[in-house]
Amino acid sequence: MAVSQEFAPPFKLIAPYFILGVIAFVISVLSLFGFNIINLTYQDISVLSWAHLFLLGFVMMVIFGAMAQLIPVVLEVGHFAVELYYVIYPLLFAGMVMMVAGFKFVPALLPYGGSVVLIALLIFIFETFMTIRKVKKFNLVITSVAIANGFLLLGLIFGILMALGFAGVISIDFTSLLRAHVFLVLVGYVGITIMGMSMILLPMFWLSHSYSDKNVTYALWFISIGVIIEVISSIINSQILEYTGYFLTIVALGLYFCQMYVIYKTRVRADKDIYLKSMIFAYVSLIVALVTLTLAIFLHTTSLILAVGWIAFFGYIGFMITGHLYKIVPFLVWYERFSPLVGKEKVPMLADMLPKKSANLQFIFSASGIAVGYFGLLLRDNTIFHIGVYALSIGSIFVLKDLLYMIRFK
Amino acid sequence: MCTKEEIFKAVSTVKDPEIGFNLVELGLIYDASCDEEGNAVVTMTLSTKACPLHQMIVQWVEEAVMRDVEGVKSVHIDVVWEPQWDITMASDDVREKLRM
Repeated sequence: MAVSQEFAPPFKLIAPYFILGVIAFVISVLSLFGFNIINLTYQDISVLSWAHLFLLGFVMMVIFGAMAQLIPVVLEVGHFAVELYYVIYPLLFAGMVMMVAGFKFVPALLPYGGSVVLIALLIFIFETFMTIRKVKKFNLVITSVAIANGFLLLGLIFGILMALGFAGVISIDFTSLLRAHVFLVLVGYVGITIMGMSMILLPMFWLSHSYSDKNVTYALWFISIGVIIEVISSIINSQILEYTGYFLTIVALGLYFCQMYVIYKTRVRADKDIYLKSMIFAYVSLIVALVTLTLAIFLHTTSLILAVGWIAFFGYIGFMITGHLYKIVPFLVWYERFSPLVGKEKVPMLADMLPKKSANLQFIFSASGIAVGYFGLLLRDNTIFHIGVYALSIGSIFVLKDLLYMIRFK
Repeated sequence: MCTKEEIFKAVSTVKDPEIGFNLVELGLIYDASCDEEGNAVVTMTLSTKACPLHQMIVQWVEEAVMRDVEGVKSVHIDVVWEPQWDITMASDDVREKLRM
């Protein structure tokens, strides 16, 4: 039982994922100063370039690093070949840079960048599935890991087809595949991964017990069916299926929110720490994103679509990731640096390793920046939007500073 | 032969680094015994099955008993999941502090 410690990867393997990821996060925020939102649409090349910087450089990078640690904890088996993680991050980072440059400056780079990212993600998916093969008994979270990685694989295939089409290598309907690609990667992989991992991490950190997980069980199946329907609709161009997919996804995320609320209500720990604040902001952002998405589906307004992307990316996914960094990084550093000293000398508690004041400032700047930026996008007002970006930039620099502080803690 | 109280006292030096309380006051130590040959058994649980410190905590408990309890020659740690731990098993002091 619980082989997690025996198979825990060394911190030097995970640290580059977090450092590169947060650097990409800071750059992605700073690059928003270059956006003129008056005439911006979500299909603009600059938006596509930025989305790959944010999603591949920050979201995927940090998630993959966290998975190196969490997969053995969740699956209760050791990695198939954890050494493969040493090659995933350089490939992912290099491929991401080529893709971002390809979208923005040299389209011919896109298939090459896409291919490098493809190799990185295939290695990750291969390692994950080979590890899952060792599992004898599946539970909800392990099922979510398997489903999420299956969607990631499919999303990759769509992405490569689109990259080839964008570079003029093959002739395809770029826009019809875009929706399938976005749904598979963003909802199918990132969404379901967060859903599954939060079922382990939130109750663990909050000491929540004695709750039913039926909401998240329904949520997992609804969201999976929603993604599949959305992919089919993008291939056969069916509007009924498209709206059915949206509906199922919104219902699933609503049920997931209910589950998280149940876990929050049954929590034992009442610390109002950076983790709690980050989680509350993330889940409030999720609800705001779902309401805005519902309006966007009916009203088809570009400003609403951009606002959904903003609040979902920064408010929900961004805070979900940065909030967890304040828990995971101290643990990994403590584990490597202080756990051998337990019983021999006084060691710090994990909470002692947090830069509390700086983390709170980070929260204030990031949260206010996201809120202001959201209204800037809704109102299509460059000045308001850039005020939000300014505050978020300061917040993102605090995240990087705090990360380095925790990594260097002695 | 050592007593259950001696073993509990030794284990109370082991703290959960995330929560900041020792394992005994958290109610994670269910039982302890020791036979005449000095073979101790500690029955315990963890706050979650997915605890990434699982094996390390078990090792700390073992080391604490070996180090602090006189006459103990070996320690066996039995990690159980029934009954499932919840906060009602922790001391009043822990519950009060966690809710603050």
